[in-house]
Amino acid sequence: MAHLVHYPEAHPFVFRFTHWVNLICMLLLILSGIEIHYPVVPYLMGVARGVHMFCAFVILINLIFRIVAAGFIKSAPAYGTRETKLDMYTFFPQKDNRHQLWPWIKYYLFFKKEHPLGGKYGVPQKLSYLLIAVAILFMGYTGFCLWAPTMNIPFFAGFTTLVGGLMKVRVIHYFMMFFFICFTLIHIYLANIEGIDPTKVMLLGTKPHGGLTYSLETRNISGYDPMDEEIIVMEDKVVLEKD
Amino acid sequence: MQDSFIESLESRGLTRRAFLGFCGTIAAAIGIEGVTAADVAEAIESNSLIGTNGGLGEGALAPVIWMELGSCTGCTESFAQADNPDPATLILEYLALNYAETLSAAAGYSLEEAREETIEAAKGKYVVVIEGAVMTRYDGEILRIAGAPTCAPHESHLLHTCKDAAVVIAAGSCAVDGGFCAAYPNPGDAEGIQKYLKDNGVSTPVVNLPSCPVNPANLVAVIVQYLLLGPESVVAGLNEFNMPAAMYGETIHDNCERRGHFENGEFVYEFGSEEEAKGYCLYALGCKGPQTKANCPQVRWNRRVSWCVASGAPCIGCCNGDPRTTVRNWIDVDSPFLGRLKTLRLGDIAFQPTPVALGVTGLLTAALVVHGIGMKATGRTKGGAPFEKEREWDVKHGKKEPSTVPVVEEQVVVDFEEGK
Repeated sequence: MAHLVHYPEAHPFVFRFTHWVNLICMLLLILSGIEIHYPVVPYLMGVARGVHMFCAFVILINLIFRIVAAGFIKSAPAYGTRETKLDMYTFFPQKDNRHQLWPWIKYYLFFKKEHPLGGKYGVPQKLSYLLIAVAILFMGYTGFCLWAPTMNIPFFAGFTTLVGGLMKVRVIHYFMMFFFICFTLIHIYLANIEGIDPTKVMLLGTKPHGGLTYSLETRNISGYDPMDEEIIVMEDKVVLEKD
Repeated sequence: MQDSFIESLESRGLTRRAFLGFCGTIAAAIGIEGVTAADVAEAIESNSLIGTNGGLGEGALAPVIWMELGSCTGCTESFAQADNPDPATLILEYLALNYAETLSAAAGYSLEEAREETIEAAKGKYVVVIEGAVMTRYDGEILRIAGAPTCAPHESHLLHTCKDAAVVIAAGSCAVDGGFCAAYPNPGDAEGIQKYLKDNGVSTPVVNLPSCPVNPANLVAVIVQYLLLGPESVVAGLNEFNMPAAMYGETIHDNCERRGHFENGEFVYEFGSEEEAKGYCLYALGCKGPQTKANCPQVRWNRRVSWCVASGAPCIGCCNGDPRTTVRNWIDVDSPFLGRLKTLRLGDIAFQPTPVALGVTGLLTAALVVHGIGMKATGRTKGGAPFEKEREWDVKHGKKEPSTVPVVEEQVVVDFEEGK
């Protein structure tokens, strides 16, 4: 059992940076949002509102930057390889992931013993990341429907009218917060349950441990890269395959 | 102003100064540039029964028919301060309140005759004020007035009265969206006048003036705007809910006198507390000011004496209804009145957003814990399960690409554990 090698090429600095911005903004938005929903801590409302609006703008600009940068910056479209392509291809349908949605679901539900092969992001993972981008935009949109300086702009007021008033928008905005909390719980869980190496690479860009390599050409495991690790090879576990 | 008009006002206990002050409020509520207190005063005088025409009544260009449907009569009460007449009441009377079930001295057939005469005499010019919800259950038989159901489909005297009016004013939230009468489970099938007229093909413009009760200043402002600038001006100033945008365009929160306490985070968490005595913000008690659009903080109530928040009660959002439907009346939108969020309903099941959201999150957390135990038990926590040799689909259907032989000739799979 082993991970694919988490080469830093999978997560170039720019995307590690935007991930940090997302992490900090999400945390501050949720905390300040709870305070705005109900003033749990007295005397903090002004600060909470300031932080909430600031982080809202930052996370929206960050998202737009992240999307645009995906068209200019290269990253590895799979773990276990140092080959890179424009990052946007990671978010398009990949041949590496074709027909793999069902195997992924079976794997997560323990109906499948083997780890599915795939691109950098598994099928449910990629779908959830794409959904999160949409969710952030929608969250921002409902936020502007509630924010006094923008609530009467027809683009926002139209939605308020559609759903039947500011209270409904407020409830949607509130439920959406729990959507983000639930996503984050699943995200943190799945990123770490098979070992914390992926998190280290994502957050810190640390030097990877050794692991399996993956070929974009065969779309399969292609070998083993020990990096600088000392490896004990046990005779009976070594498998040699010849074509 | 003519002496006779002022004398008439003074004989009813209203000084010239108070009258002009009130006209200033009206001008502000209309919110159109160039409309001054003097214009308002002139409009009221020249259109009143006791005006330039010497009280003969010929000058009454805009008779008002006030119809009361399913209501608590609170809106009328709000107008008719019996022992201390509100300027708004007097002005409305001056504007020829030809028919009002509660206020008119006449009753029965003679009053119904007055209504018919008004409709005939002033076709297309009179104003209908609706107080209360249209009760439609049992083909309108649930509420009979003047010997007939108020709102039988296609032939009711409500439709008959509204059809030839210049403008229909829905005074108070019950007339706007059904209000209390339409609150869940809405046993009388109450609905707002706008929806009722639309459903029955009457195209008379409706001006919705929500709040419970209607603010007399806003009602008079609409009537005066109609007299001054015509129905086109009134209709042009309406928002998507047919409410005058100048009156229902900004949130109560943004104009609230306690807003400073909100920004400072100074809240009343409990009635009877020290914070309440200090006049802190009522947000934590469920004040609906942030999501309620109305001019209460500016126009205030009862001759500008006070309004809900000033007198220590959180706003309960009585202007929040949606006149286009019966299911979004303000009670359902804002209850519980002392809670931050509304109660949601799926059929007959009522629930609060917070317990549901926390419950789902808690269930998810529990599921993840159980899943984690499973991952540990299946030995996947150290690098995951071994990779499949080939994708399931490819095994079943044959791998089409790549057609070339894999580049790597020798594949080595090694057991690797961190730290060894």
